[in-house]
Formats: sequence, structure tokens, C-alpha cells
Amino acid sequence: MALLEVAGLVRRFRGLAAVDGLSFTVEEGRTVAIIGPNGAGKSTAFNLISGLLRPHSGTIRLDGRDITRVPSYVRTRAGLGRTFQLVQPFHDLDVLGNVTVGALFGGTEKRGVTAARAAAAGLCEMVGLGDRMSAPVSALTIADRKRLELARALATDPRLLLLDELMEGLTPTEEREAVALLGRIRASGVTLLLIEHVMSTVRELSDHVIVMDYGKKLAEGDYATVSRDPAVIAAYLGTEEAAS
Amino acid sequence: MRRELAGWGLFFLVVAALPWLGLAADRYLMFLANVMLMFMVLALSWDVVARTGQLSLAHGAFFGLGAYTVGIAYRSAHLPPLAGLAIAAIVGAVVAIALGLVTLRLRGIYFAIATLAFAEVLRTVALQLPDLTGGNVGISMPPLFDGDRVISYYLVAGLFVLAVALSVWVRRSRMQYAVTAIRANETVAAVVGVSVVRTKIVLFAASATLAALAGAFYMPFITHTDPADAFDTSRSVAALVFPIFGGLYTTVGPVVGTILLRSLEEYLRVTPPWKDGYQVVYGLVIVIAVLFMPRGLVGLAGERLRRSPWRSSR
Repeated sequence: MALLEVAGLVRRFRGLAAVDGLSFTVEEGRTVAIIGPNGAGKSTAFNLISGLLRPHSGTIRLDGRDITRVPSYVRTRAGLGRTFQLVQPFHDLDVLGNVTVGALFGGTEKRGVTAARAAAAGLCEMVGLGDRMSAPVSALTIADRKRLELARALATDPRLLLLDELMEGLTPTEEREAVALLGRIRASGVTLLLIEHVMSTVRELSDHVIVMDYGKKLAEGDYATVSRDPAVIAAYLGTEEAAS
Repeated sequence: MRRELAGWGLFFLVVAALPWLGLAADRYLMFLANVMLMFMVLALSWDVVARTGQLSLAHGAFFGLGAYTVGIAYRSAHLPPLAGLAIAAIVGAVVAIALGLVTLRLRGIYFAIATLAFAEVLRTVALQLPDLTGGNVGISMPPLFDGDRVISYYLVAGLFVLAVALSVWVRRSRMQYAVTAIRANETVAAVVGVSVVRTKIVLFAASATLAALAGAFYMPFITHTDPADAFDTSRSVAALVFPIFGGLYTTVGPVVGTILLRSLEEYLRVTPPWKDGYQVVYGLVIVIAVLFMPRGLVGLAGERLRRSPWRSSR
């Protein structure tokens, strides 16, 4: 049984279908990338899966359980974590406090504040924020905010982690660090589903690539197959991604 | 944590000692002390809801609901005031949960608008059901403990301790993480696993119960209530101005803000030449304070401490 199973997902905005009959599965332990031109419906698909939006039709199953109509926090506690493309830190909490929220409320097991802070501190170390744990989030660079976003999502003990353009805004060096970090997270057994524009990242990390266009799945397969697919090349033609 | 609790312990001792230090002899000062404690409860409980990012304009109305519940329990069922107090707490909690279930699922300004409307509804109901509420005239009842203001003071002080306990608990427990996340962004808080609606409803209910209890003590203390007094908007405004003046999202702030602003208001009210236009002066002081101390007195004190070289690490 697939860890994530999306079937016939439809979501319209003012009659226009942003996601239009999307179906795919993610097997446990794999890393799957969703790519596609701007406006293809990738972020809407993420918002549907994480419960920020309700689909007009279709179903979402996490480990066989139907979570289509379940609120976000229940999905999180069931093992579904996500990061946001635009980083969304909690402003009145410091770095450690931000991560602690995830450890306190998102985890599968119930923790006290002390245990949650200890778990959060470990994750801060892991993502490279160990020396900035008591810093206010306003003092963080973009790269560090991305690390914080990742640490907070990891604190919820996800089995499946949705990463929405984690590499956006990073320098090439930071990007390499992030890819290495995601490699370690994957090795720890977390299944990754990522939206990514940086093709080198997609090539390096993903076992499987799903190409979306106009709210539909255009193609899927491994990176080599998908990148040679004429339909995929046509979809990207004229956009800057075609160059990479 | 330990230092904070010790600080509050000391403050409670001072509160408990005040009647013994001559306050008990002065009926006017005892009156002010009773009302001051009730307003501290109102301010502390309002601040707890504010921490979830919600602006309540109904805390004065819950105060009035508590007052009316005790009055109606006495008038219609001949229940003693103490039984009325227990019923007022239950009524406050149940009404807050019902109101919260409807309005706290919405985000942003809707809750504030709904609470304002709620206060108006209660005022109208109080006017339109004269058989139950006495209509325009309201309800009168004999004072609690034959008008002994010292006993009343200790009862309200007990409620004040509860309000401080709620405020400190929210700040020092896992709740602090939940409310701060909710205040920053409800959507993200939910994605990180916080049960947003439930947290908001639970805290609103606890807070409204305290406000209703403050009103429930007020009724047999003043011995009369009517729609104009029970649902006076200025009490809802006080519930939010005192914490803002003292320092939002803190425990000290609402307490200090209440003491200073209530004292100032009372001083202006009885002292010439302020007497005639005291509300104008009082309003000006609040406006200036909010403009120049956006984080309240506690924020101002915090900055002083931060600048001083011998501050502790946290």
C-alpha cells in the first residue's frame, strides 16, 4: 500500500480548475518531486494534501486512511508534515520556540515542554541552527529561515514530508548544504514529496518525478525518462526552466 | 518560574494584609479596593483571550451576565447569592463555549464584531424580558454578608488569585507555545499540529467564566443591576485598555494597568478642577500612553532592564 494516495483530485477557483483530476501515489521511503511550469497547480495540490484547501472532488489517503476532509492538525499528527514556500515563522517565539511548537503539538507521541524543547534543540543542531536557538526569527537570513521551516516540520515526526520550494532563494553553496541535509533526512526513513524548480536538486534527490501542467499530471517516471519526454519539453518551452 | 511565583505570593500577602493595615476602617477605600480587584480579574481574563490573537469586546457583557445570573437566581428562584455565584460560573462558561463554537472558527475581525453584537443582544434581552430581568428597572437584592465589605474583599481576592493563576499557567505551560503560534498565523499553527479552534474556545471559556464570576460578585456587592449598568460598554473597553496600558500578554501588565488607571480615574473624578471633564483627561492620558508605550508599562520597564549592564541572562 502506498503511503500517500491521491485520486481524482479537483479544485477550482472561480470555475477555473487549478487542480483538475490529479492522481498519483507515493511509496513509503521514496523521494518524489513534482515539477511543472508556474501555475501548473503544484502549490494548490500541496495545499489540498496538507488540508489548507478542500477539494471539490477526489480523495487523499495517508497510509490507507482517508484524510480528504480531516483538519490540518489531525493530518500533521497522523504523520504528514510540510514546509511553506514563503517561510512562515511564529514571530513572538525564538528559533527554539518555533521548533518546540511542532514537537509539542504535531508529534505522534505526547510530550511535555521539557522533552519537546530537548527534541527541538536536537533538530536545530541537525539543520545547522544550533548556535542561533535563542535568536529572534527576525534576525535570521533567508537560508536560516528555510532551515527553521524544515526543523519545525521535522519536529512533528513526519512519515511524509512535503517540501514546497525549499531551495528557492538559496545560494549555490546553501543549496548544496540543503541537498545534503535532505539526503540525511531521507536516509532516516522519511518519505519526501517536493515541489522544486531547481532541476539539479530534482535530479540528485528524487527517485521519481511527476510533471504537472494545467492542473493535470502530464508525465511521470524517473528523471532521465521524464526529461526526455517530448510533452514535458513542450510544456516547458519558452519558460526559463527549459534551459536547465 | 520560582521567582515569579514568589513575587505573586508576596503580592497576594500584601492584598490580604491591606484590610489589617487600616483599609478596613474606611468604607470608601474598601469599596474602591473591591471594585479594583473585580477589574483586575476582568483585565487578566481579557488578556488571556488576546494572547490567541482575538479581540474580545464582550468581557464587560460577561461581567453583566454574571451579575444578572445572580440577580435572577435570587429574584426568581430565591437562591442564596453563593448558589447564584456557582450558577453564574456555569452560565458564563456555557454561553462562552456556544459563542466560541460559532465565532472562533472564523478568523480575524469577525470574533470582535460578534462579541460586540453579543453584548448588544444581552442588553436587549435584559430589556425585553421584564418578568425575568425587571426590564429597565433591573433587579435589586440584599447585600452579601450584610454588606460587610471586608468579607466581600477576601472573596473577590480569591477570584483574583484564580485569574492570576490562569494567566501565569497559560504563559508557563505548553499553552504559551500554542497561543503564540496561533497569534502569529492560525493556518501555519494548524499545519504544525496545533488544535487552533479548540485552544481558542477553551481559553475563551475559561476567561469568560472569570469575567462572569467578577460580575457575580459585583451584583450582591452593589445590590442592584440594570441593563445600562450591567452592559455598560465602558467596562468592555476598560477590560482591554488596562492590559494594553500595563503590557499585553503578561500577568503583571493587566494588574499594574488596572491599579494605575482605576486610581487615576477615581482621582480625576473626585478632584476639582478635573471633576467636570474627568473623562476627557482620562481619555487623553490613555491615548498618549498607548501612542508612546506601544508595549505598555511592562515593555517600557523591560527595555530599561535590557539596557542596564547587570541584567540577568533571561
